[in-house]
Formats: sequence, C-alpha cells, structure tokens
Amino acid sequence: MDLGKVFGELNPLLLIGLKMTIAVTVLSLILAFALGLVTCFLTLSRKPVLRWISKLYVGLIRGTPLLVQVFYIFFAIPQLLQFLGFDVRLTPFLAGLITLTLNAGAYMSEIFRGAINAVNTGQMEAARSLGLNHGQAMKKVILPQALRICLPSLVNQFIITLKDSSLISVIGFADIMYQAKIYQGRTMQSFATYTWVAVYYLVLIAILTYVAKQVERKVKI
Amino acid sequence: MTAQIVVNNLHKYFGNLEVLKGISLEIEKGQVVCVIGPSGSGKSTLLRCINRLEEPTRGEIVVDDITITDPKEDINKVRRHIGMVFQQFNLFPHLSVKENIMMAPLELKLKTKREAEQKALELLERVGLLEKADAMPRQLSGGQQQRVAIARALAMEPDIMLFDEPTSALDPEMVGEVLAVMKELAAMGMTMVVVTHEMGFAKDVADRVIFMDEGIIQEEAPPSEIFTNPKNPRTRGFLDKVLSV
Repeated sequence: MDLGKVFGELNPLLLIGLKMTIAVTVLSLILAFALGLVTCFLTLSRKPVLRWISKLYVGLIRGTPLLVQVFYIFFAIPQLLQFLGFDVRLTPFLAGLITLTLNAGAYMSEIFRGAINAVNTGQMEAARSLGLNHGQAMKKVILPQALRICLPSLVNQFIITLKDSSLISVIGFADIMYQAKIYQGRTMQSFATYTWVAVYYLVLIAILTYVAKQVERKVKI
Repeated sequence: MTAQIVVNNLHKYFGNLEVLKGISLEIEKGQVVCVIGPSGSGKSTLLRCINRLEEPTRGEIVVDDITITDPKEDINKVRRHIGMVFQQFNLFPHLSVKENIMMAPLELKLKTKREAEQKALELLERVGLLEKADAMPRQLSGGQQQRVAIARALAMEPDIMLFDEPTSALDPEMVGEVLAVMKELAAMGMTMVVVTHEMGFAKDVADRVIFMDEGIIQEEAPPSEIFTNPKNPRTRGFLDKVLSV
C-alpha cells in the first residue's frame, strides 16, 4: 500500500505508456475528425445510397461495444482476410488506431450533423442569395459557425476517446493501462498502481479541458 | 423591350397548401414595387420565388431575359444580380462587418482583396456606418445590422434588390434609418421589390403597390390610387385596418 514507493518504480513505466496513449489518441482524433466530416456530408447528401452508407456505419459503431470492435479489428478481420487469401497482420497499435478512428469518427459525424443543423437556416439563404453555390456557402458560412457550435461536444468526444484508448491494452498495446497491468501483476500492488493510473488520466484530462476552454473563449462568436 | 422581371402564372404549393394561386406581374427596370397584404397572403413567398430561394411549383419567372424557372439555367449566376435583404438581417456572425460585405465578391473571385475592401468601405460610407467596418455584427443595433445587410447585397452590384419585410424586426426608432437608405437606392434607379408593412414608405417611394391576399394579386395600382381610392373591397378592408392605427 506504499503509494510513494510504488510511484518511484511505476512512474518510468507509465511515462513510456503515456507516449503510446497520446500517440494513438491524437492520431485517431485527427483521422476521426476527417472521417466524421466526410460521414456527416454523406448523411446530409441528397443521394439515398450515400445516406444509407453513413447510417449503416454509424449504426454499426453505435450498436456495438468498443471492446468488441477492438477484437473485431485485431482478430476477426485479419482471419477473414486470411481466409480470402490475403496475409494481413495488424500490430496492436495499428488495430487500436483503426478502431478508435472508426469509433470516434462515427460519433463525431453525429456531432457535426447536429451543429450544422443548429446553424440558422437564414444563414444558408443569405449566402445563396449572394450567388454562392451550396458548397461555397457551406465552406464560408455554415461550417465556420458549426465548428464553433460543436466545440464543447467535440472536446467531450476527445476526452471519451482518450479514456477509451485504455481499452486497447487488452490486445497488447503498451499504453498507460498496459504498463500498469504488467507492474501490478509483478508486484501485486493493486491499490497503489491503479490509484496512480487514475491520477495520470485525471491530469491528462484536466490539461485537455483547460486547453479546450482557452480555445473556446478565443473562437466565441 | 420586355420588362426586367416577368412573372407568369406562378403557383407555389407547400405540401397540399396552395400559397400562390397564379401570380402574373411585370416590373420595369428602375421601378419600385411595394407588395402589401395580410400575413399569410403569400407576399414573402412570391418574393422568394423571384430568386428561387423557394422553388416555384408551376409557372414561369423571367429576370433580365433569363428564364430562371428553367432548371438548365445556372441559378447561382442569376442570383449575383439580384440582391436580397431579409427580415432577420442574416448577417454572418463569425465575420466582421467589412468581411460580411467582402465575402461573396471574394469567394466568387469577382474582385481582388483590395478592390473588395475598397468597395466595402465605399458602401459602408454610403449607409453611414464606415466607423463600424471592423465591428462584429452582434455589436450593432438592429437598424445598423440591416444597413450592413443592404451594403452586403449591394457589394455584388445587383441591378435588382428584393426586400423581405426589411423593417419588421426593428425597434420603431430604427425603422427610419433603414428606410432612408432604401429611399436613396430607389432615387438612384435601382429596381426594387419590397414586401413591407410600412405604408408611408409605399406611399412615398413606390411606383406601384401590389395588394396580395390569399395567394393572388387582388389589386395593383400607383400608391396615389390604391391608398386613396382602392377598388377591391379586400384592399379597402386591409387598408382601413392598417392605416387607422
């Protein structure tokens, strides 16, 4: 139960894990942002096929637990591909990145859709009445406002994804959680280990929240 | 020469509700036409059909010899020549006053940044708001916002301006400053279609007043005629109500 002694041994390991946690979270969020935007545009498309594709994707992600998705990407898909004759093996990092991207992308598309719908319809009409086409109006008028509207929800999704990344440790991805489990298994110091892990995540999220608040204040309409 | 705006047997349905029941009218270049009538009479819908913010269900609209109801026509091109001013101003809240005015000419690559800025400042001076160039819309009063909205529409150098109840959302003391800008536009020969409840403005500025009710034009006449000697009993009833207050 010696928190101080455990910290001395555990901290170097958690710092190694921290790099992996941050790497997979930041990369997946950047990719998910793009994926979410594209999916959102599909959802708002006039072509039923495109709407159908985006609905299916979002439905699949929302309808299954993240842990199942991790296993599916890491174990199930490679086996299917092998059966089809492709020798594809994913590293835990790559599998984790793909899973988190697909997962956050689906939720972000819903966040974007809500924000775009929240922009007053008069804005689109004003832009169109000036001669801008739909795409130009989106780019110059609707999206800049929608991004401001959705910032709080987006930050919320960042936090969720950061925390969700701890789940990838189950496929052997050496993040904070993975390092902690290894250490705990070796020393049986469950209380001290997981207390420090919780503190690590708390601090990370406190920093993220602080930065987000600053950004939010800057871009307020 | 044909009129600048020709509307021919225009019908508009919202679902099963017929809002416009066969509207025909012609507006000559440089004319100011005010459209009056009770709410729900279809006047705003008519105006919004002229730049196809509403898709007409049936009928034909020709603006500057271009049949805009023809789906083959590029409506975005046509809209550049038709300015529109909305009841709720609809300024872009994330852009400064100046940027609001410069946005469309820049995005459509009609002007360089320098030209667009020059034009924006010129227009702001014209509507008396030069000192607000760098303000954000939310910092302006309603009347100021509407004047900026007029300047924004003028930045595209339109030859037609549509006004959709431009003073209805304003506090009474701000109505005058917006009407003054509109009067000046009219005096400079702009073709204007104004949906309004400002009977004073209609009397002073309009070449012609159109009274609409229940989706049809009930009466159209010069203001001197329609306000003093309305022929249609509906027009008389409406004017009695709005002029007696």
